[in-house]
Amino acid sequence: MTLPARSPVPGGPVASDPAQVRRRSWMLNRKLWVSLRAFGVFFLVWWLLHLWNGNPLQLPSPLKVFEALWGLLRDGEIASHASVSTLRMLVALALSITVAVPLGFLMGLSRRAEDLIDPLVEILRPISGIAWLPLALFIFGVGDTLPVFIMFYVGFFPILLNTIAGVRQTDPRLLAAARTMGVGRTALLVHVLVPSALPTVMVGIRLAFAASWAAIVAAELIGSPSGLGFAIEWYRQLLMTPKVFAFILAIGVVGYLCDLGLRALQHRMTPWAEGTGASS
Amino acid sequence: MKTWTQDTPAFALMRNMALPVLLGLLWQLWAMTLPEGSPAPAPLKVFESLGDLLVGGGLLSATAQSLGRVLLGFAAASVLGIALGLLMGSFAAMRENLDPIIESFRPIAPMAILPIAILWLGTGTPTALAIVAYASFFPVLVNTVHGVSRVDRKLLLAARTMGMSRLTILTRVVLPGALPSILLGSRLAMGVAWTAIIAAELAVGSKSGGGSSGGIGQMMFVFYAYNIDLNAIVVCMAVVGVVALLIDRLFRSAERHLIPWRP
Repeated sequence: MTLPARSPVPGGPVASDPAQVRRRSWMLNRKLWVSLRAFGVFFLVWWLLHLWNGNPLQLPSPLKVFEALWGLLRDGEIASHASVSTLRMLVALALSITVAVPLGFLMGLSRRAEDLIDPLVEILRPISGIAWLPLALFIFGVGDTLPVFIMFYVGFFPILLNTIAGVRQTDPRLLAAARTMGVGRTALLVHVLVPSALPTVMVGIRLAFAASWAAIVAAELIGSPSGLGFAIEWYRQLLMTPKVFAFILAIGVVGYLCDLGLRALQHRMTPWAEGTGASS
Repeated sequence: MKTWTQDTPAFALMRNMALPVLLGLLWQLWAMTLPEGSPAPAPLKVFESLGDLLVGGGLLSATAQSLGRVLLGFAAASVLGIALGLLMGSFAAMRENLDPIIESFRPIAPMAILPIAILWLGTGTPTALAIVAYASFFPVLVNTVHGVSRVDRKLLLAARTMGMSRLTILTRVVLPGALPSILLGSRLAMGVAWTAIIAAELAVGSKSGGGSSGGIGQMMFVFYAYNIDLNAIVVCMAVVGVVALLIDRLFRSAERHLIPWRP
């Protein structure tokens, strides 16, 4: 199968012409400079607010926060909490994918299955994962299972709905062509339906990640003895505010890095989806 | 004959309810095998509990309190988010300078801000409002910027050619053009806000020893930690779900009425 030639996108990955390379590096430099300037102003405002507020327990100076961050990075505390949280997130995401993707294919392909299962999904979906916390606390207790369950639940629906949509979006002409050529059911699934649905599924996985990363904080804050969410609340109770800020920063950075990783994965797994809008 | 039975609404209803009812029955049967006095919830007890809570348990007032907080926080966030979004959408310099900051804060979950909010504002309504506002600010802002950037350039040029003032262009061209996206952002924002308020009330309840903040999240926590009434917790979960559903439907119908030119 040949892909249609793509027009060169400004800032895209292909830049052979030296003028274009120079232009790209200039744009990159400019972006970096603007970000640095924006953060400079941001930290200045923070520092001024800190002077005005005058209570280091409420708003420590940015310097103190960086000092705390550096200390936590050096003694490995951030790394240990972040790895615990990330591991839970990965387990939960893997669980949601293994349950939601096959179910989504089933519901996308069979009207009857959809009619039967969809009402249950629609009953459960509006109940946010957070609302399961008290019941889950009672069932699982404080520990690893609770955050994994909450994240599994939160990530399940975006993946399911996107899989169904992805299967439905398959070009009927492709299906008809494959059938005309006598392609079997398995081959149809592997060579037509899966490649066609994959971009939408990947978007669903990224949405699921975003939702479950937001939920992990709540889950760990209330019902876990470890992890980034736990650490934030722990240091708040100890009134070590710089460390609270440092861990909040860590949550943002780890979340951002994971999204970058998922984006790269999406790019590699579904290169044919670039520019169709499904990749953004 | 077969097609006739499958087309009737009664059949559709039966088909839709089949799995939920079956699971409910299994749940009830399972609960009946448990020894007397077990705290495990059962469907019949949940309905009983719903009746009790509706009559004298303060379920409605707790829900109203949570909803009130969501609306207030959401209103503040939308005013800020739409105004800033229009500015960032209209002026490239604003967008360029604010984007790095906004994008850095976006991945930080509202619940991560909660400890800071508690430090600053205590464990009462202001904290809940701050969390809701923080949660709903980003969807509104990002979708407003996106909506403004999607406004047809030809319309903007035409308006300018015809000598419209900046303000008229903003209210007559940019705002209607961005409206679908803004409404979408508001719907998403309300969804996250409702989740965030439950989380905030729950966490505040769990960390402050209960009693000071109210709302349905707090109510759930009290049922978990003090009364150990799982049936009541399930009632609260159902209420959370129903309210979320109603909010979603309300915003969808608003979208249909406010932007009839969009299918």
